[in-house]
Amino acid sequence: MPEKLTLMLYVEDEPDIQAAARLALESLGGFTVEICCPDEEAMARAPGFQPQLILPDAMMPGMDGPATLKKLRGLSQFADTPAVFMTAKVQPGEAAGCKEPGAPDVIAKPFDPMMLAGQAEAIWERSHG
Amino acid sequence: MADAADLQAKLKALSDAYAAQLPEKLGQLMPAWDQLPQSGWDEEGFQTFYRMVHSLSGSGKTFGFAALSETARNLEDYLKPLGDAKNALNEGQRGQVKRMLGELRLASSRRDIAAFAQPQPQPVAVSPYSSIANVACRVFIVEDDPALAEELEVQLHYFGYEVLVFHKPGDFRDAMQQNPAGVALMDVNFSEDAMGGINVMAELQRGRDMPLPVIFLSAHNDLEVRLGAVRAGGIAYLGKPVNIGALVDELDKLTSSQPRAAYRVLIVDDEVELALYYAAALEKAGMLVEVVNDPLKVMKPLLEFAPDLILIDMYMPGCNGMELAGAIRQINAFVSVPIVFLSAETDPDKQISVLGSGADDFLTKPIKTRQLVASITSRIQRSLILRSFMVRDSLTGLLNHTAIKEQLSHEVARARRQGKPLAFAMVDIDHFKNVNDTYGHPAGDRVIKSLSRLLKQRLRENDMVGRYGGEEFAAVLVDADGPAAMRVMDAIRNDFAQLRHLAEDREFSASFSCGIADISNYGVASKLVDAADKALYKAKHAGRNQVVLADEKFA
Repeated sequence: MPEKLTLMLYVEDEPDIQAAARLALESLGGFTVEICCPDEEAMARAPGFQPQLILPDAMMPGMDGPATLKKLRGLSQFADTPAVFMTAKVQPGEAAGCKEPGAPDVIAKPFDPMMLAGQAEAIWERSHG
Repeated sequence: MADAADLQAKLKALSDAYAAQLPEKLGQLMPAWDQLPQSGWDEEGFQTFYRMVHSLSGSGKTFGFAALSETARNLEDYLKPLGDAKNALNEGQRGQVKRMLGELRLASSRRDIAAFAQPQPQPVAVSPYSSIANVACRVFIVEDDPALAEELEVQLHYFGYEVLVFHKPGDFRDAMQQNPAGVALMDVNFSEDAMGGINVMAELQRGRDMPLPVIFLSAHNDLEVRLGAVRAGGIAYLGKPVNIGALVDELDKLTSSQPRAAYRVLIVDDEVELALYYAAALEKAGMLVEVVNDPLKVMKPLLEFAPDLILIDMYMPGCNGMELAGAIRQINAFVSVPIVFLSAETDPDKQISVLGSGADDFLTKPIKTRQLVASITSRIQRSLILRSFMVRDSLTGLLNHTAIKEQLSHEVARARRQGKPLAFAMVDIDHFKNVNDTYGHPAGDRVIKSLSRLLKQRLRENDMVGRYGGEEFAAVLVDADGPAAMRVMDAIRNDFAQLRHLAEDREFSASFSCGIADISNYGVASKLVDAADKALYKAKHAGRNQVVLADEKFA
């Protein structure tokens, strides 16, 4: 029986998307989600929170998703935490650039709030199947 | 976990909040694109624009705007190679992006309502400046002269209109098959058909229950063409060269179909059931009603609710209606608010003596609700018209100096009670004397009118704008803190500076300086005015055409 997905860290800079993601993942999915902006805040908050899955937005001003993830990976407790990029780049070539080691898949933006929890769960199950 | 209906309602609320922010987001795109240099490459500016588009493409569909996401995605795909090449943008590329921005605006009005199957009214936290640009204010320009079309597009854009340009009447006709809402601005004469514009409009109007609103533009002034325009549904007929001021006046008339704020009625009656019955009848007629059953508790609702009319029962315990009317009339702000008595008193002598106490009318109980509504509506209408003569500036229709100061005091008191933010802005047109001296007073008046129109259009319905003096304006921005007011006033400043004014055959532009103060630093109206005035002085001193926020704290 694989470990059940309950805790997530969502890294996103746009407040309206944050709100939609919270609704989709918490109210609909029943997950516990920590949502934060990229860079300093993510760094500061993440050590106190041990998510099972990290969802970084792939393109944000200041620091992009891959760079945020790289910094998180520098913290020992996230060295192996799986991450799934949220990206509006869904052309095959572009998306490939978002799949770094430790990022098993991507979720396309704009996401459908009714589907997001299911997508995250499916990815989780695939990587723990 | 939330139940489905609750979740749908929340999603709908999020979508509404997103929809409310869209006009502001879209409104920032065109200026961001226009700011890019004609020659050379501005990496930062381009990336800013790219990110704005990217953000729309990555969010629209989540909130029920799939077409917006798709259109933004197309634009993003078009921009990608330009961003990689980093070459100066040529005219073709600039034009293409502008066209795509037009498509983006059109796409923003298409919302997938089915995504929220159970819409429920929900309080929505919207951006304070959500209504800056009204989505319904869309103009279709049909003009084969590309230079004129672009000029009109740019100028109307600064007045807050969404503009879509068609160079051929046929393209416009095809686009109208989908029935988008908007006002057509139609050239009469096209190279292939001297009456092309009129003919296409006549064809489009055929069989329609509601004619398409259309304004015709023409260099011809003969009656035959004018009649043709009227028959094709023309609401106005403007000569070329186009006077932007006259055009915007016409468009404002057509698009300001926003219903006026609901009439506010305060009912003072100790009979609870009866008061509620009258309240229900007035509310059904679209009025806002507040009921007070204890006449001795009337002061608070009177000041806070600020009614347009007060309906008082004549006989109440504690104090009678006449005494109450007399007391209300002694408050300056309520000298002109109509007071109507409602009572079972049928003795004409008594009724007359009541009118002497400061009341305006006497209605006898029992009264048919239709009569009550009609009588109150007519009283309020007349009083508002009279009031508008007293409080409005005749050139601009804005509040006059006294009225805007009065409104500021009310709003400061209200904001402090409710613990809400509020900002006050003072605006002064730069070098206005030069405008008058160089281009004449009529041109100066037009500049004043265009700024007043811009302020009215771009500030929200609840904000108040007044003409403070000659070329000086004041605005009360409710529910806005200093930084929010800065953003909105600076955007208006930027757009005003881009407007071109006509004087005879000469074109010129003007700018304004603005000072802003916020009640978190200055809690009294007079200090707020002083601080905004000082900030305005700073803005002038620092070189004009800028907005300054007063920052020093008062002890």
